[in-house]
Amino acid sequence: MIITLRSAVRIALIVLASVVLQISFFSYLSFFGTTPDIMPLVVITLGLLGGALVGAVCGFAAGLVLDSALLQTLGVWSLVLLTVGYLAGRYREGTDISNSLVPPLLIGALTMAAAAGFAAIQLMLGVRTPVSLLVLREIVVQGLLATLLAIPLYPLIRRVLRPAIVDDFEARRARSPITRSASRAGRTRGRRMRRSVGVSRS
Amino acid sequence: MYRKQVRRRRAIMALLIVAALVLLSTRFSESDGGPLHSMQRAVASVFGPLEEGATRALKPARDLINWFSETFQARGQNSDLEAEVQHLRNQLVRAKGAQGENRQLRKLLRLDRRGTLAGYTPVTARVIGRSPTVWYSTVTIDKGSGTDVKINDPVVDGDGLVGRITDVTHGTAEVTLITDNRSAVSARALPNGPEGVAEPEIGDSTNLLLDFIDRSEAIHEGQLVVTAGWSNGGISSAFPPGIPIGEVSDATVGEQETYQRVHLRPFADLRDLEFVQVATGGPKRPGVAQ
Repeated sequence: MIITLRSAVRIALIVLASVVLQISFFSYLSFFGTTPDIMPLVVITLGLLGGALVGAVCGFAAGLVLDSALLQTLGVWSLVLLTVGYLAGRYREGTDISNSLVPPLLIGALTMAAAAGFAAIQLMLGVRTPVSLLVLREIVVQGLLATLLAIPLYPLIRRVLRPAIVDDFEARRARSPITRSASRAGRTRGRRMRRSVGVSRS
Repeated sequence: MYRKQVRRRRAIMALLIVAALVLLSTRFSESDGGPLHSMQRAVASVFGPLEEGATRALKPARDLINWFSETFQARGQNSDLEAEVQHLRNQLVRAKGAQGENRQLRKLLRLDRRGTLAGYTPVTARVIGRSPTVWYSTVTIDKGSGTDVKINDPVVDGDGLVGRITDVTHGTAEVTLITDNRSAVSARALPNGPEGVAEPEIGDSTNLLLDFIDRSEAIHEGQLVVTAGWSNGGISSAFPPGIPIGEVSDATVGEQETYQRVHLRPFADLRDLEFVQVATGGPKRPGVAQ
């Protein structure tokens, strides 16, 4: 992803809108006794589209804003979200995502990991009351809900960030009626851009 | 060039992890008036109006989605309910006899809320945000120190106890629900039942545990449980006595256990709160910070 001022503003707006939507909308919904959590989904999506660094920084910032807005213990969400954002970005940098089913499944699995990580941190910080086994159901259902929600939300976020995504830039150029030499020049430019932002393609 | 980028990426990642851990430990160690708490309150104040606007604007969409979800659940419950109707018919006969007794007990115990929260000034607030995880059962309300809401004020809704105020900004406040892992409420079973501590079981928001009930104490399903308002002169519960909490749904005792395992079903629907009432300006309770 090419990080310009415009794309940075878009990412910031996506993160802020997600926090507001999570607190005011998704937290009120209940499916199979579980509340959908879109914050890991958004951070993982940003990691998948922008790489490890974008995923980690967005995860840290999103966690900070979420914890602050809800007056919760600072740092817990940041730690969990920056980890899943980074992991998603690392996956993207090492593997070419060619199948459209991969992002939702990956988002589901990493959301489950985020929920489990959050639970582990809470247990490490100390919980005075008994913990029900229903917490395990919560973790699994959150992963499944994230997979379902990723089907519309991943393409939506990708669409919003499309101008900054290197792959889409190339695809757009390939579709345009240009000469073979111009196309070659475009590919060279694409390679140069990928190298400058540290994105490798296998 | 590539190695330099990898080194930079690792450095930033390490920096972010350290920053998160520093935030975590500082938040635990600093006092309520510390810089991190102040920063959080400032961010929460900025988000307050946004949350309120979004909560109001998105209510129809939320209701629609919840309607579908509830309808789906209701279909599954239909067969269970048919079996339950048969069981309830048998219970009805016994309940008729208990009805007269119940009426007398209610009069005796004066469970009406005006009596329970006498001396408090109720402030009605709208719930504008809630935590997405079971590990923090908290909600944000649209009233804060500007309307005299203070830390540790009890919060109720039309059905019973909801929680207490744990953080306040000028225009918003955080309510820690009775299903949060930091919550423990001294409680008493009616009519003259034993006293214990009502605490949550994390992951199950429809269930509370009434702990420290001796195995020899008689307690049975259907008994009402209210706040005990415990006080020993020096320290006391944040809640005044007599606020309904829930009813006993199950009471079992293990072979080698000293205490009974009593389950409560809270009266307040804590997953679907829209309006709550904060009991402000009440009498000073010893040992309760405000």
